[in-house]
Amino acid sequence: MASSAEGVSTPPVPSAGETVAVRSRRFGSFDVAREQILEFPSGLIGFPRGRRYVILEHRPGSPFKWLLSIDDPELAFAVADPSELVAGYEPPLEPAAKLLGVVPADVALFVIVTIPRDPKNMTVNLMAPVVVDTQTRKARQMVIEDQGLSPCHPVVPAS
Amino acid sequence: MLVLTRKIGETIRIADSVTVQVLSVRGSQVSLGIVAPADVRIFREELYREIESQNQNAQLPDAESLAGAEEVWKEYGHGKQR
Repeated sequence: MASSAEGVSTPPVPSAGETVAVRSRRFGSFDVAREQILEFPSGLIGFPRGRRYVILEHRPGSPFKWLLSIDDPELAFAVADPSELVAGYEPPLEPAAKLLGVVPADVALFVIVTIPRDPKNMTVNLMAPVVVDTQTRKARQMVIEDQGLSPCHPVVPAS
Repeated sequence: MLVLTRKIGETIRIADSVTVQVLSVRGSQVSLGIVAPADVRIFREELYREIESQNQNAQLPDAESLAGAEEVWKEYGHGKQR
């Protein structure tokens, strides 16, 4: 069973203008402005303890970004706009908006990318995209059931 | 593990805001009705495990893998060739 997040205290998000210091062996030391912090009230699935994340650019022109945990700065995921990697993908903005309690125009959606040793075998998690309320920065990993979407959809089609 | 025995129509309450009601029992299949706040995620265990495992596999790819993935994107990414 995944451990309960109960009893884990997440420091409160600082008020406007404040920043949070991040010290990461992998990503270095830097400050993150409050308005850049994504708050996952229940964490990512299987990672209930990390509530606050920030999106970092990987490099200019790259479709990939980093979703870095502020609460555990050694934890990060590669994420991407799925339309960069999956032809014909239609982001489920309506259900995402419903889940977040906002209008679809206020939803940002990205997918977690799994990159194995041979990157040609990389996959994207279309079943459980990350959705963000761009107004409040509240975020969730949304699970889409019964739509035939895979948690490991291959980017390179099988030939 | 806490074991409770309930009849059809009876409910179990978990903390203050979650209820689980036994709706029907047919052979070995049990239908449950769950009421919980929107921020409580409810999954069949197998689905939870599947996504948890995928998230575990996805964490912290190294810079080299990401560079390789960019090459794959250049070749196969949507909007490039398609």
